[in-house]
Amino acid sequence: MTSYFIRRLLLVIPTFLGITLLVFAVTRVVPGGPIERAMNEALLAQTDSAQMIDMNSVAGAALSEDQLAELRAYYGFDKPWHESYVIWLGRVMQLDLGMSTRYTEPVWDIIKNRFPISIFYGITTLILTYAVCIPLGIAKALRHNSVFDNATSAVVFFGYALPGYVVAIALLTALASAWEWFPLGGFVSDNFDQLSTLDQAIDILYHATLPLIAYLAGSFAVMTFMVKNSLMDNLSSDYVRTAIAKGMPFKRAVFRHALRNSLIPVATSFGQLISVIISGSFLIEKIFNIDGFGLLGFESLVERDYPVVMGILVISSLLFLVGNILSDICVAIVDPRVKFGENGS
Amino acid sequence: MKLRPQLNPLTQRQLARFRSLKRGYWSAVILLITIVLSSGAELLVNSRALIVSYEGNWFFPTYGKYLPGSTFGLGYEYETNFRELKVFFERQPSNSNWVIMPLVPYNAFEVDLPASRYPPNAPSLSEKHYLGTDTTGRDVLARLVYGFRIAISFALILLICNYTIGVALGCAMGFWGGAFDLFFQRVIEVWSNVPFLYVIMIIASVIIPNFWTLMIVMVIFGWMSMTWYMRTSTYKEKTRAYVLSARALGASNARVIFSHILPNSISIIVTFVPFAIAGGITSLTALDYLGFGLPPPTPSWGELLSQGTSQLESPWLVTSVVGAMVAILLMVTYVGEAVREAFDPKKFTYYE
Repeated sequence: MTSYFIRRLLLVIPTFLGITLLVFAVTRVVPGGPIERAMNEALLAQTDSAQMIDMNSVAGAALSEDQLAELRAYYGFDKPWHESYVIWLGRVMQLDLGMSTRYTEPVWDIIKNRFPISIFYGITTLILTYAVCIPLGIAKALRHNSVFDNATSAVVFFGYALPGYVVAIALLTALASAWEWFPLGGFVSDNFDQLSTLDQAIDILYHATLPLIAYLAGSFAVMTFMVKNSLMDNLSSDYVRTAIAKGMPFKRAVFRHALRNSLIPVATSFGQLISVIISGSFLIEKIFNIDGFGLLGFESLVERDYPVVMGILVISSLLFLVGNILSDICVAIVDPRVKFGENGS
Repeated sequence: MKLRPQLNPLTQRQLARFRSLKRGYWSAVILLITIVLSSGAELLVNSRALIVSYEGNWFFPTYGKYLPGSTFGLGYEYETNFRELKVFFERQPSNSNWVIMPLVPYNAFEVDLPASRYPPNAPSLSEKHYLGTDTTGRDVLARLVYGFRIAISFALILLICNYTIGVALGCAMGFWGGAFDLFFQRVIEVWSNVPFLYVIMIIASVIIPNFWTLMIVMVIFGWMSMTWYMRTSTYKEKTRAYVLSARALGASNARVIFSHILPNSISIIVTFVPFAIAGGITSLTALDYLGFGLPPPTPSWGELLSQGTSQLESPWLVTSVVGAMVAILLMVTYVGEAVREAFDPKKFTYYE
């Protein structure tokens, strides 16, 4: 099995190359990159007209050939895309993600600044998901088809059917705008630095409540039903019946025998959560104006800040790929029956 | 061949079971009615009249060429404003001319700017803006209805494209295996790790997509999941005894695939349909919301959402579109759950 995981780990390399190559190529092949942006800005400064301009024919006039060449060299557009990909990759190997074209700061510094916010949301979501879903799933399985089961199903199902961003918009409209119970967005208040530590914590929670609900709405359903269904499967299996027939109290049979086996599918999702910590949802971050990883990616995409886009891609895809493998390792650890790589799985 | 193919007993039982799951069944019925109604939305929500009776002649302006105002004795050559025509006719009780307008007498594009008020305007029964107007003065209900029609057709066509590719390729991968399978496994792994919303946004921010270009881009990044499910399913079915015996009887590859493996994988295909539709609607709406979807002035839910979130003081914008999304997505998901339950093989297998 070790060899299987080593093989999986080695396969991360071609996949990673494939992903970055593809996105890199897309950023190069499509027009409207940073050069066109700079040309347009130069042109707008000259003519002061805000009309849409045919970028290639007209805009060239605003900048001289020399300036253009200079710009191309600055953004690394002076070479064919495959050459610049190799150069870019070489830099990434040396842990250098390049400079942001928008902020003229190292990409890594920009990304690093967003980490605390994203990690805060990621970890809180993770803890809350497990803390709520596992007990809820157990309770629902034990009281299957009761009023409690059906009522919670209805609520959980609501979150499952709606995408997070719709939940976010609904919450924002109702609770933040109409009733003003919660702030309209942001991570902390403007006067955050002047608050005492306790108030700072309250302030963060106050701002985080609505986004957290939006994040959790979708993940609750999947996890809760996963726990519930697998526990119910196990409760009806022979070994639980045997245990009870031999005189074991029902509670003990549930928690000692059935529950252990039902948590195996939960472990499957564990590895993937490592990437959830980072990626977040840029829709939710945009709606609540949270300066996390997702919003950074979205903004840099809009602003054609391709080094930042690629930097985020590198980090998130590596985490995602490693997370997949971690998932499998988790499963192999908790379930000794699972043998990877021996029957072609 | 029989004229009317008899459904096999398993399918019959699955359908009966689906019908017995009331919530999912009625959601499916309502959804189908909504889709049918929206395909004839011009008859329900339109600025053109349904029927005009003018001096003994009947006109049906809904479909077809526009009728200039002079047709009805109005002094202009541009398209008749039927709402004004109706008022005009009603003011003359002596003549027998009349106009029947659709339920909502506005289309999704026209700007209705009442004097002395700036849009967005709150819902008003007397003006027949049942859900108010948006920031440019267009009727919200009309835009919701036409936006739904676009979203649902987008989701359905996307589904068909993704499924065609997914079923064909997945089946081939599972059936032939080997290097072909390995190659596409890697392709899928790379492809599904590409953050597709990113790429769509990069592309969409440049080419200003229309319905079909957006569709192509979405298909390019959306075919993988069905391919994967079909591959696994074909892989499993291929080793079952009935495939072996069909082979032993001399069945060709084509026969094994089309009359044995595919019918037995159908439940996988069907189970994912509702969720794929919900996914199609949500991703189109998300793209529109961010401004990378269909270009304005296409009526779209996402565009209404983004208007609503920037105009929180006009709550009818957000409320109506969120309400519509909640209703449609809940129903689609109910259908999905019911289909999943009805097709759950655990209920019907004779072995194991």
